[in-house]
Amino acid sequence: MQTLTQLILTGLQIGALYVIFSLGLTLIFGVMKIVNFAHGQFFTLTALLIAVLYPFFAGQGYSHVMAFSLVIAIGILASLVLGYLLYQFGFRFFQRDLAGSFILSVGFVLLIEGLLLHYFGGAVRAVPHFVEGSITVLNVNVTYQRLVLIFVSLVFTALLYWVLGHTRTGKAMRAVSIDHEAAMIQGIPYKKIALTGFLIATFLGALAGAVMAPLAMVSPTVGADYLVKGFIAVILGGLGSVPGAIVGSLFIGFIESFGGFYFDPSFANIAIFVLVMIALLVRPNGLMGNG
Amino acid sequence: MDKKTISGSFVALAVAMAVALFLKDGYSANLMAWMAIAALIASGLRFVTLIGELNFAAAAFVGLGAYAAGYSLTILEWPFLVSLLFAGLFSALIGVGFGYVTLKTKGPYFLLIGFAFTEVIRLIYTRINVLGGNSGMIGIFPPDFLMDHFTVFTVGLTGLLIIIMYAIEKSYLGKCFIGIRDNDQVVLSVGINVHMTKVLCLSIGAFVSGIAGGLTAYVNNVISPADFSFLLSTFALAYLKVGGEDHPLGPIAGAILLVFLGSIALRFGGGDHIFYGIAIILTLLVMPKGIFGLWESFKSSRKHVDVVQQSAKGGQA
Repeated sequence: MQTLTQLILTGLQIGALYVIFSLGLTLIFGVMKIVNFAHGQFFTLTALLIAVLYPFFAGQGYSHVMAFSLVIAIGILASLVLGYLLYQFGFRFFQRDLAGSFILSVGFVLLIEGLLLHYFGGAVRAVPHFVEGSITVLNVNVTYQRLVLIFVSLVFTALLYWVLGHTRTGKAMRAVSIDHEAAMIQGIPYKKIALTGFLIATFLGALAGAVMAPLAMVSPTVGADYLVKGFIAVILGGLGSVPGAIVGSLFIGFIESFGGFYFDPSFANIAIFVLVMIALLVRPNGLMGNG
Repeated sequence: MDKKTISGSFVALAVAMAVALFLKDGYSANLMAWMAIAALIASGLRFVTLIGELNFAAAAFVGLGAYAAGYSLTILEWPFLVSLLFAGLFSALIGVGFGYVTLKTKGPYFLLIGFAFTEVIRLIYTRINVLGGNSGMIGIFPPDFLMDHFTVFTVGLTGLLIIIMYAIEKSYLGKCFIGIRDNDQVVLSVGINVHMTKVLCLSIGAFVSGIAGGLTAYVNNVISPADFSFLLSTFALAYLKVGGEDHPLGPIAGAILLVFLGSIALRFGGGDHIFYGIAIILTLLVMPKGIFGLWESFKSSRKHVDVVQQSAKGGQA
C-alpha cells in the first residue's frame, strides 16, 4: 500500500511537470499549426539561469526567498524575450507551414543549444529546493518541493482553462485554432493572437523549467529529454487538444513511475513508445484530436 | 529518366570516383567519404518527401544499418558485401514494420513519432550487451582488397543509389508517390493502395539509409549509440534544406558544402551545432528553396529578361 501510494505520487509529480511543458506545445500547435522543437530551449534557459544566478544572488546577501523570487523572475523573463525574438525573427514567417516551421525550430535548437554549451559549459548543476522539508501523507514521505510542483501545475492548468474559456483572447485563440480564416473574417486579429499564444506557450515552457530545476540536475541539454516526452504526450492526446495534453502527460508520468519501479527506467521509456504506437494504430490523430 | 540525364549523371559519378582515387591523405579521403554518405542520407530523406512526409526516423534507420553491418561483420563474420547488403535489408525490414504502423498517421504525427522512434532505438542499443551497450562496437574494417580505396567504393555506391532513387522518382512509381503527396484521394480513386505505396516509399528510404549506416560503420570503424541521435536527422535536413529539396542535386550540393564548411568550423574550434543552426536559419529566411532554388530563380529571371528583350525587339520591328 505504501509503495502504491508512493508510486502514484511520483507518477502525479512527473505527470504534472509534463503537463506544464506539453500544454505549451499543444497551444502553439493549435494557434499557429507549427511544431516547435525549440520549446525545450525555453525550459533549459530558465533552468540554467536559475542554477547559475541563484548562488550569485545568495552570495550577495539576499535571503533565500528573495533570491529565488528574483532568479525565477529573471529566468522566465529571459525566456519570454527569447520567445519574442524567435517569433519576431523566425516563426512569424512560417505560420501554418508545418515543414518550414519545424526545420526552422530545429535550426534554433542547434543554435541555442550550441550557445548555451559555449557560455555555460557542459557541466551539470544542482539547484537547492525552494522550500525545504517534507510532509508525511498516508505513510509516504513527500518533499514540499514536489508538492509545489503539483500545485503550480494545477494552478496554471486551471488558469489556462479559465483564459481559454472565459476571456476574449482565449476565445479568439480557440476560434483561430478551429479555423483561422473564419476567425479573421470575424475581425479577430490573427497575428496578435498568434504572438500572444506563442508567448503564453513560452511562459509555460519556462515555468516547467523553473519548477523542475531543483528536482533534477540542470545541464544545457536537459530540455531534449523533456521534449521527447512532451511531444509523445501531445501526440498521444492529440495535437492542439488541451485535455489531450493533460491525459497524455499523466499517462507518461504513471508509466515512468510504475515501469521505472517494477522494471527499470529505460524499459519504461520503451514501453511508453510501444503503447503510443498501439494507440496511434487505433486513433491516428491521438486520443482527443480531431483533425 | 532520359538518356542525357543518365549518361550525364554517370559521367559525374565517374569524375567523383576519379577524384576519390587521387586523395592520398587519410583525412581528405575520409572527408570525401563522409560527404558521400551525408549526400546519401539527405537524398534518402528527400525521397520520402516525395510522398509528402518528413522522415525524422532516418537517423534510426542509419543506426540500424550501422549496427547490422557491425554485428554481421564482427560477430557473425559474414563477408563484407553480404554484411553491407544485410545492413540495407535489415533497415528496410524494420522500415516496413515502422511504416505500416505509423504511416496511418500524417504530417506532424508522423514526424514526431519518427523522432521518438529514433530515441527509442538508441535506447535499445544501450540495453543489448552483444552490441556493446553504451560504448558501442569497434573494429568494423572494410576488407583488405578495398582498404586503400574505400572512399572510391563509398562514392561509387552512394552515387549509384542516388541515381537509382532518381530513376524511381521519374518512373511510374515515382509519379504515384508525388500523386499521393499532392492529393492521395485521387491516387486512391484509380485503385492504387495508398497506404502500401507509402510504406514502400518509406522502406526504400530506409534501405538507402541502412546502406548509408553500413558505410558509416566501415568508414569510421567504430559506432556507438550516441552517433545516431535525432541530431543526425537534423543535419541531414540541413543538407537537404541548404541544397534545395526541389532538385535531386540539392541534397548532394548541401551535403558537400556543409560537411566541408563544418570541417573548417571544427578546425577553428567552433561548435558545429552553432554552425549548422545558423546555416539552417539563414537558408530558410534568405533562400527558402536552397541553393538550387536560387539557381533556378536566377535562370528563370534571365530567361524572363531575354523574353522581354526579344519581345521589345519584336515590337520595334
